[in-house]
Amino acid sequence: MRDSLGKFVQRKEFEAASERLAAGKGDLTDPKQGITEAEAIEQAKQGREAAFEVLYHLHKRRVYSLCLRMVSNPAQAEDLAQEAFLQLFRKIATFRGESAFSTWLHRMTVNVVLMQLRKKGLPVVSLEETLAANDEAPKKEFGTKDVKLTGSIDRLQLQRAIDRLPPGYRTVFVLHDIEGFEHNEIAQIVGCSIGNSKSQLHKARLKLRDYLKFMRAEKAKTG
Amino acid sequence: MKCSDVERVLPELLDGAPDGAFPADFETHVKSCPACSNLVSDLKLISSEARQLAATEEPAPRVWLRIAAELRAEGLISDAAIREPESAPTRPILVPTSRRPRWSAWWLAPVAAALVAAGSYVVSHKPAPQVAKQQAPATRVASPIPETPAATSASAPTPAPRQMAQKPAKPTDTIRPAVEPESSEEDQQFLTAVSTRAPSMRTTYENQLKAVNADIRETQAYVDRNPGDTDARQHLMDAYEQKALLYQIALDRIQ
Repeated sequence: MRDSLGKFVQRKEFEAASERLAAGKGDLTDPKQGITEAEAIEQAKQGREAAFEVLYHLHKRRVYSLCLRMVSNPAQAEDLAQEAFLQLFRKIATFRGESAFSTWLHRMTVNVVLMQLRKKGLPVVSLEETLAANDEAPKKEFGTKDVKLTGSIDRLQLQRAIDRLPPGYRTVFVLHDIEGFEHNEIAQIVGCSIGNSKSQLHKARLKLRDYLKFMRAEKAKTG
Repeated sequence: MKCSDVERVLPELLDGAPDGAFPADFETHVKSCPACSNLVSDLKLISSEARQLAATEEPAPRVWLRIAAELRAEGLISDAAIREPESAPTRPILVPTSRRPRWSAWWLAPVAAALVAAGSYVVSHKPAPQVAKQQAPATRVASPIPETPAATSASAPTPAPRQMAQKPAKPTDTIRPAVEPESSEEDQQFLTAVSTRAPSMRTTYENQLKAVNADIRETQAYVDRNPGDTDARQHLMDAYEQKALLYQIALDRIQ
């Protein structure tokens, strides 16, 4: 117990590192910052609250962004992000480093999100089945002329178009084009092949193109 | 190359090939075909605009607070469990929160409750009056509190006084505990009871009591120097709870 004050000071240092991360100033690869992600993981396995917090701040933006782009509801996205982190932290003792920690986390996040979409009655059985079901070429729903999307795309319209995507397409599109994951990472996250990931992404973009053209045409009609 | 060929190879080429690295026949066709040119241009635009949607928002701070609360409730956070193997075992008989022993009604119960109350008083925002050292904390407790979370089953969650510690403290408050932790009358009574009922445990409990009192003293000094540090106050609260836990465990073992 006499060294508990020492541990308290140590915890404060840990928490200071967490705050730096939260403020976007932390660099886990800098030894001077005090901790690396690997160290935080090991400390979290021992039950250190500050270690959990470091890991949370390190990944919170990406996890939340993924959830938000998938469900388009900030409150729901927060709940999903919270659940994803809780599932991760409950299982952290089992993490052996075979894959990147972020890949593991995002896989959990995707599963949490798809579970939620399933509860809402959307036709999601499994991501693999969803991807297989979407394997046909996307239908041209709107019969728009083959006109180029000129200029920039309105962000709100783009988000609305993303919301219309089937969950399988939406997942791969969000992971790749929004969150910046590579296809090999997406393949690990969603459990598909690299080729499948590329194919689904392409189809998602084609669908988005159709949606955006339709929205523009509608907007032009209404003035 | 035909339009159908372009659509077939586009998934592989669009992300994998940097500008200027497309196959020659692909480029030739795209340049000469308005439909394919528009298609490639649109898909690149969608991809680049989508990146603008990335990571601009953060979850509210309450998300972490809820996560931390849940982890504590599930016993996954156990900072008290961390020990340096080479240091002296400072709390070999103390058990983590999730395995606190059940209360047995005895006179030490109100003393332990008073310790927890004293700790919660420390971390509250009220200015601390100068409390006479001689004032026995047991007299300020109306009755034993077997229903406190600390007093209930082993799976009890974090005790209620900890929630009081969440109140923000004014940095200018001078905080003094209601009970001076060093060799108080209650500590002497406690050790006397241990000597009477379980003499073999006296040394162990005496050492533990010295350690926890020293911890309270040191943390109190830290809080005095850093009155605005709510974490320090929480740590002091934790130290008082540890002392209360020591009383609880002794109660259970020597009864």
